[in-house]
Amino acid sequence: MTSKEGTTMAVAVGAAAIAAGRAMAQTGSAAVDTAFETLKTYDWGSDREALKPIDQAIIASHGDPAARKALEKRLVDALAGGLSRSAQDYVCRKLKVVGTSQSVEALAALLPAQETSHIARYALERISDEKAAEAMRDALPKVSGKLKPGMIGSLGVRRDAKSVKPISGLLGDSDGQIAQTAAQSLGLIGTPAAAKELSAFAKKAPANMKIPVADACLVCAERLLADGERAAALALYRELNSGDQPAHVKVAAMKGMLAATTKQ
Amino acid sequence: MANQNSKPVKDRGTFHGRRAFLKATAASVTFPYLIPASAMGNAGATAPSNRIVMAGIGIGNMGRGDLGSFLGRDDVQYVAVCDVKRDVRDSQANRVNEKYGNKDCKAYRDFREVMVRGDIDAVHCATPDHWHAIIVIEACRNGKDIYCQKPETKTLREGKLMVDAARRYSRVVSGGSQRVLEDYRGIVDACWGGNKGIVKSINVNVGPLPTDCNKAGESVPDGFDWDMWLGPAPWAPYHPHRCSGSYSIDGTSWRSFKDYSGGGMTDWGAHHFGGATFAIDVRELEPEEVIFHNENGRKFATCRYPNGKLLHHNHPGRGNLDVEGTNEAGPVKPVPGYAGTGGIYGDFIDCVKTRSKPFRDIEYAVHTATVCHLFLIAYELERSLKWDTARQQFVNDDEANRLVDVARREPWVI
Repeated sequence: MTSKEGTTMAVAVGAAAIAAGRAMAQTGSAAVDTAFETLKTYDWGSDREALKPIDQAIIASHGDPAARKALEKRLVDALAGGLSRSAQDYVCRKLKVVGTSQSVEALAALLPAQETSHIARYALERISDEKAAEAMRDALPKVSGKLKPGMIGSLGVRRDAKSVKPISGLLGDSDGQIAQTAAQSLGLIGTPAAAKELSAFAKKAPANMKIPVADACLVCAERLLADGERAAALALYRELNSGDQPAHVKVAAMKGMLAATTKQ
Repeated sequence: MANQNSKPVKDRGTFHGRRAFLKATAASVTFPYLIPASAMGNAGATAPSNRIVMAGIGIGNMGRGDLGSFLGRDDVQYVAVCDVKRDVRDSQANRVNEKYGNKDCKAYRDFREVMVRGDIDAVHCATPDHWHAIIVIEACRNGKDIYCQKPETKTLREGKLMVDAARRYSRVVSGGSQRVLEDYRGIVDACWGGNKGIVKSINVNVGPLPTDCNKAGESVPDGFDWDMWLGPAPWAPYHPHRCSGSYSIDGTSWRSFKDYSGGGMTDWGAHHFGGATFAIDVRELEPEEVIFHNENGRKFATCRYPNGKLLHHNHPGRGNLDVEGTNEAGPVKPVPGYAGTGGIYGDFIDCVKTRSKPFRDIEYAVHTATVCHLFLIAYELERSLKWDTARQQFVNDDEANRLVDVARREPWVI
């Protein structure tokens, strides 16, 4: 496809999408009721357009807390109603945008299951309410296998300082994926407490953890520096600029030290 | 490949005046960029003949083309290919081995095995978009340079993380839109040559927007690691349209769907917006506002830059790459271009050797992708938004901030 053909095609399809959006904007509450009814039997292969009234209702309820709360409740109620995986997926995507503490309990119930853990985090990770983090912290010791690094990762992305202790306990996990994600998340959290745990583990890290831990320390140091914790950042950089670290790590640490000593 | 007939003026010194968010990455502004490769952990890694030792990740479709461009160079030694489709990786490994007349090129299913190889200097990545950030960051932390296909990011948050990783480890990280320089050179020359006067705005017509995919499942083809293809994206059943690498954006390829792409807005937008931001000289900036317009149901949007320049999307009555200027004699600046020979691929390889910033440095590529994501979020929420470039957050808009990133499927985290 040439650039010109691509542009022509793209503009044509874009215009069609805008026209479709305009039609959907005219949907009313009856259409929303129908969409929620459709959700009960919605599954892979169902027409996604049938749920568009809910999408539009979410957009329309921006700035209307009462309408938004009612919509959220309908989504939470739907989630408790025995939906297919595809319908659960849809609801969690919507709760990512409109979810509040009101949604947390229903989403937390999905965290331990292999099929729904991620899509529950899909909403919970982005809900700023502290209860969302609390739900994932509570689920952390209850999940195993692949689900555990997912939970660790979401807490890291949120920079959840209360997770430093439970995540630190997983640095030496026999499952390499869990151990690496634990290091990565401590780096993302980037507090002095996280730095202390990373620093202690770095001294005894097995060979396969050297790069992940070094990277976590560098990320942690950058976050400390950005947060004004210059001394803690410098300490991490100094540790990385020594010993048997790979050359690219040492150079990164040296750059960090320079930044830490010149940053106002 | 690049048009080498009109070799552009080199301008490697134009990286001052970055946005504040990059200043937060203090290392990137307090340490010289030009550091010998040997100091970057590459000592002994390059072949005795001074060739760059390379691997390819995601080598179907566009990746196959990228592989061919690198493989055709005398200064590259290809040693590994990686793809989640067995037939793709095996056929491309055979292609490389036939080229060299040996069996040295290994085929991998999992890119992490490629990343830990100490003998590889650089990789190129042409996976679907939802994988780009993870692979670029993993390359950087393993001391490898990387050429990443466009659009480089899938979410706003990914962009800063990728730039941070590149700067942290002093890696050469090139975005993958050759069209930015090669397709829009005429309009770039007009703007940078002062023919448009003081440039006020430019318009880009591109689409469509991405859609949700709810296609019913089918049997996974033999030799296709479906779980790895999905990677950080939400689980979904296999369907050939969900994962087809076709360049169509009509619901029959991954480029159409929100979980893997930003649709035409990012897929073609990476080219068009890349060219537009180059033409009006805002590559070093991010917009601080996206303004959503709905005029009698006709929706379009505008990004406003801190210097007042406007970047429109689908503005009524405006053509693609249509520049609005004062049309008087304007300031003249030399137009930057590729290093080395061989277009954008040669530019990357040359920069790997010299430790220079490539033409499509990841910072510029991310800024282009950021424009695309800002438009996507404004259209999704149907409202105007203010973007705090330093904090990489929307201003006073919790709902919009939830769309800055997505939770990744286990075990993937960035």
